[in-house]
Amino acid sequence: MAFLEIDGLKKRFGNVEILKGIDVELEKGGFLVLVGPSGCGKSTLLNTIAGLEQITEGEIRVDGRAINDLHPSKRDIAMVFQSYALYPNMTVAGNISFGMEMRGVPADERQKAIDKVAKVLQIGHLLKRKPSQLSGGQRQRVAMGRALVRDPKLFLFDEPLSNLDAKLRVDMRIEIKRLHATTGTTIVYVTHDQIEAMTLATKIAVMRDGEVQQFGTPAEIYNNPTNLFVADFMGSPAMNLIPATIATSGNALSVVLQREAREPITLPMANAPAGLSAFQGKPIIFGVRPEALTDPEGAERNASNIATAELHIEVVEPAGSDTFAVTNLGGKGVVARLRADANIQPGTNTPLAFNLTKAVFFDPATENRIR
Amino acid sequence: MSAVATPARPTASRQNSSGINTRIVNRIVIYGLLALFAVFYLMPLFVMLVTSFKTMDEIQNGNMLSLPKAPTFDPWLKAWGETCVGLTCAGIKGYFWNSIKMVVPAVLISTMLGALNGYVLTKWRFRGATLVFGLMLFACFIPFQSVLLPMATILGSLGRFGVTLQNDVGTSFGLGNPTVNLVFVHVVYGLGFTTLFFRNYYEAFPTELIKAAQVDGASFFQIFRRIMLPNSMPIFVVTVIYQFTNIWNDFLFASAYAGTGDAMPMTVALNNVVNTSTGVVEYNVNMAAAMIAALPTLIVYVVAGRYFVRGLMAGAVKG
Repeated sequence: MAFLEIDGLKKRFGNVEILKGIDVELEKGGFLVLVGPSGCGKSTLLNTIAGLEQITEGEIRVDGRAINDLHPSKRDIAMVFQSYALYPNMTVAGNISFGMEMRGVPADERQKAIDKVAKVLQIGHLLKRKPSQLSGGQRQRVAMGRALVRDPKLFLFDEPLSNLDAKLRVDMRIEIKRLHATTGTTIVYVTHDQIEAMTLATKIAVMRDGEVQQFGTPAEIYNNPTNLFVADFMGSPAMNLIPATIATSGNALSVVLQREAREPITLPMANAPAGLSAFQGKPIIFGVRPEALTDPEGAERNASNIATAELHIEVVEPAGSDTFAVTNLGGKGVVARLRADANIQPGTNTPLAFNLTKAVFFDPATENRIR
Repeated sequence: MSAVATPARPTASRQNSSGINTRIVNRIVIYGLLALFAVFYLMPLFVMLVTSFKTMDEIQNGNMLSLPKAPTFDPWLKAWGETCVGLTCAGIKGYFWNSIKMVVPAVLISTMLGALNGYVLTKWRFRGATLVFGLMLFACFIPFQSVLLPMATILGSLGRFGVTLQNDVGTSFGLGNPTVNLVFVHVVYGLGFTTLFFRNYYEAFPTELIKAAQVDGASFFQIFRRIMLPNSMPIFVVTVIYQFTNIWNDFLFASAYAGTGDAMPMTVALNNVVNTSTGVVEYNVNMAAAMIAALPTLIVYVVAGRYFVRGLMAGAVKG
């Protein structure tokens, strides 16, 4: 039995269904990230777990106990808000201990708890300051301190890093990951940033329009997306989703990609998924991640199925650690990821290697994966 | 190059100097007008002030605008302790305290209730909250005169109930007491304004703070007392100033519901001092009494005035 279980959760505002039956579960000590574009219902889902929103149908259980009818303070949860929501009239210490004060914890115990948390988060020197005297990163720490001090069963994070600048965001991301590793707490974390989702999570739920599109480990989500939306949403730069057709050459299937002003490329598929044979002669969407389309020397050596084709390079973007090359296939811009020192010029024809073991196929009509 | 650049320079400087000239003219016009209006508004205050320090002889024989030749505090002392209000000649000091006793509770109660209303209307929205707020706003537009009679009926009933309580329980709980009546009337009447002020202020108050406090386990009133109130200082000051001046200066309700007897507030008493029809009209005493009546509101403005503007702006911009 999982630690956090959400069963058939539905939420309606009047006639509008915001959450359309969510089923998610998380083991103890896990890190669940709810990710999706804005308006997908991820924050609403978090608020229903916190008890700040009532649910219409379904059940939320923590540690085997149904909590969906309890008041937020009775759920044994702590929440970090996007705006940090520090009480401006109280000092840092007052902010951290407010929850304990409300539950009638004696002053000396509160002080001990504050000191402990301040040590973990290295905010001891800030305890007497007001939130207005803190920088963004410090406020973030205090907000986490307020959650940590309660030692709850479940931590909820609502886009906690979205108000920080890029560098601080990376630092705090590592901090949160370290905190999770050292304290072993169970966390539910909402973000729209798929990199945060990939780096932090033990489980990811990709959401769209109030539904979970895919629920799994980061690797599953990244390598085996169940539909076009997940494939497109996760990963940066995004997966190349190229309109293509399926042809047969002898026994084997092959993927045919149209090119501008040149004959199409035909990629033989040695290990095509079983479902693909039904699509002979039909249009499909061929998905390949930028790192699976690279210069032949940089291609993975142990990959069993590599096909090389000469492609017309339109744009080259050196990004420091990698070089991205943009070409055109099937009428769409396609990004290839090359080594940083790859010798490639825009406007030339360059051979690139497709790692077809990593390729995925989608049905354009249903947008679902062809397996 | 230089041929083009050289003639450009004098043109620019000429434009500059004419720009400075118009600016100076503008300044003179603006400050001149402001000074004119300031004089216009301060003149009566000046006359009141100088007259209150003059002797009757000087007032009758001298110029109204001249400074007192031998300033004397006697008119102030007489107004405070000796002048006749109606038939009793014990000065206005008793009525001054009457007003204080009525204004302080009325201001505090109406402000606290307004804050509570604003809190509920913005952070605990219920079905029909907007309608309720609209109706409360409506209270701001009801003319005072139209409620005089209905309110008198209600106060009469409350008074009779007070008598019943007095007979049966032994205490009337203040029902029927004119001061309590006035506090009640002013609280009811002020509620529309105080609610409007606080609702607009709390509308911009971050709701995540309330959510955080809920997760922390704070109750409805704990959130109000520990989170909302400590962060509403500007609007609190605005409301207090607004209510204080309104209630202190009110004459209509005061004369209607406590126009005679010992509970008479300052405004009514001042009217009775000035309207006395026996003997010589003591202008200096009248002016001193009027100054005393105006002092509390002046003090409130001077002490808290800068919050007033700041708070009004905060409510206006974000509301």
